[in-house]
Amino acid sequence: MPLRYTIQPVAGFISRGFLGRRRPAEVENRLPPGQYLVTDFPVLSAGPTPHTPLDRWSFTIEGLVQSPVTWSWDEFQKLPTQTVTVDISCVTKWTKLDTKWRGVTFDTLLQAVQVEPTAHYVMAYSDGGYTTNLPLDEMVNGQAFVAYEFDGKPLAPEHGGPARLVVPHLYFWKSAKWIRGLRLMERNAPGFWESLGYHIHGDPWKEERYSGD
Amino acid sequence: MQPLIEWQAGTVTEIRPETPQTKSFTLALPKWTAHRPGQHYDVRLTAPDGYQTQRSYSIASAPEQVGELELTVERIPDGEVSPYLHDVLVPGDQLEVRGPIGGYFVWEVGLGGPLLLVAGGSGIVPLMAMLRHRAAQRATLPARLLYSSRVPDGVIYRSELVQLSDRDHALELFFTFTRQAPEGWTGYRRRIDEAMLTEVIRPFEERARVYVCGPTLLVETVANALVRMGLPTELIRTERFGPTGS
Amino acid sequence: MERIEADMNTALMVDGNAVAGELQRIFGRDMTMAVARCAGCANEAEMGALMAFTRGPGVVLRCPACQAAIARIVETPSAIYLEARGATYLRLAAQS
Ligand SMILES: Cc1cc2nc3c(=O)[nH]c(=O)nc-3n(C[C@H](O)[C@H](O)[C@H](O)COP(=O)(O)OP(=O)(O)OC[C@H]3O[C@@H](n4cnc5c(N)ncnc54)[C@H](O)[C@@H]3O)c2cc1C
Ligand SMILES: [Zn+2]
Repeated sequence: MPLRYTIQPVAGFISRGFLGRRRPAEVENRLPPGQYLVTDFPVLSAGPTPHTPLDRWSFTIEGLVQSPVTWSWDEFQKLPTQTVTVDISCVTKWTKLDTKWRGVTFDTLLQAVQVEPTAHYVMAYSDGGYTTNLPLDEMVNGQAFVAYEFDGKPLAPEHGGPARLVVPHLYFWKSAKWIRGLRLMERNAPGFWESLGYHIHGDPWKEERYSGD
Repeated sequence: MQPLIEWQAGTVTEIRPETPQTKSFTLALPKWTAHRPGQHYDVRLTAPDGYQTQRSYSIASAPEQVGELELTVERIPDGEVSPYLHDVLVPGDQLEVRGPIGGYFVWEVGLGGPLLLVAGGSGIVPLMAMLRHRAAQRATLPARLLYSSRVPDGVIYRSELVQLSDRDHALELFFTFTRQAPEGWTGYRRRIDEAMLTEVIRPFEERARVYVCGPTLLVETVANALVRMGLPTELIRTERFGPTGS
Repeated sequence: MERIEADMNTALMVDGNAVAGELQRIFGRDMTMAVARCAGCANEAEMGALMAFTRGPGVVLRCPACQAAIARIVETPSAIYLEARGATYLRLAAQS
């Protein structure tokens, strides 16, 4: 168990003239509770940028499938893609509207494997050791995809390129950068942030930020 | 036992422009503690709706300047905190801070020298605290500052630095300009590199205590070069400021 | 860290010393001179010299030799979590 301390906030102080961030009225209904609008694209960092050369990159689906499958970068590029425009919300309180991605849906990837009936959860894993967990039924039907283009251009390394998971209906930490594979599991297990105080599910509209929320 | 650091509301007593992009802020603190040169304070801003954000700022003043604290901040145009400090804060305002903090990036006269200070942009700030402290203590140990700026009027504390080294031959200054040098400039006009570091450190025969501070990418370059030059890593201290000015 | 990457993710990295405030709040003393031994590669480094990633859901401190996560800190509205599975030990100088 990690060490746990209770916080005692200092109440009352307000920085004169500091407005913080904005929730413009025009888009208010598109911003989940407690979120603020950004127009730039903040980088979330938890470790150094990995630089796996494309000829050594691969993507794997493993775990509770009849036989695991691995794609090389070239093979992955040949899979049918979709272009989607979605809003994304980060637990650090920013929301970015109308982000445009191109990638391969989880449904397309699943066609290459036979999923065991016991599979209910997925652990996404990345270069650099990052992991995050998701319910299987929240990834199907176009809810999740592995993206390698953002805004019509190859996904930049700082934003998870060459390829990242995108699951727009959950907080953005679930959209693992630098993704290398998905492991199907029977039981839910916490990933990198879920194991340290963050919510196991992470729905921004229910404000599932921290464990216990 | 060191005290638990708590947030306290300091009062801004003076704001002084240093360069077109930087200002120095003097704060009077209800609970002032003598710092060690190189340490920093955390600054926290709170909006009326409770939104908070926090950044670190190195202490520019020497601990000998009792009772108050000076910070020097570069304005990052699309930043969140530094434009507030530059554009909104006025003398008489309160600012929430906690510190002094950080025991790793500190130098005191007692640690000895020779001292090699390497700064990029606002990275001069904690190194200035060291030089001010060194002067206040009338220390004579050899010190060299290698300071990279983009343009001539971007040099923070220029006149004070020149004064300090005019009075004290053990302190030598080396400026380099990466975008535009002053007219008639005969010194360095490129980014800090291994050759430059080798020249500046030569009289110290690689036994110097080295403090490197500035934008992360600059500190990264300098630290890698120093390690390649064979300097003992335990004598090299770095303070990366993040994407500041890069 | 030999290679220098100019991407924003790299530019956002700071030293463990930048997290001194959070560490001091948790431990009640300065931790930046405490030595952390990496459970992965056995490298020893002051906590102030670790690689610190602070622009994310939490703070991640990594080993400067092998980049493995040494410690993580998450602050929620009701608690602070500190996990240090990646450290064999932290060695603090005895206080006089
Ligand atoms: C120990 C320490 C001491 C410091 N001392 C000083 C000092 O003495 N003086 C000084 O001027 N500065 C100092 N800094 C830097 C300072 O803490 C701030 O980082 C700096 O003032 C910028 O803050 P900001 O809120 O204005 O800008 P930020 O909002 O932090 O933005 C800075 C720049 O980075 C970009 N950026 C920020 N976050 C992201 C992200 N997630 N993704 C993509 N881009 C991003 C922004 O677009 C902007 O260009 C110090 C830093 C540390 C760690
Ligand atoms: Zn290690």
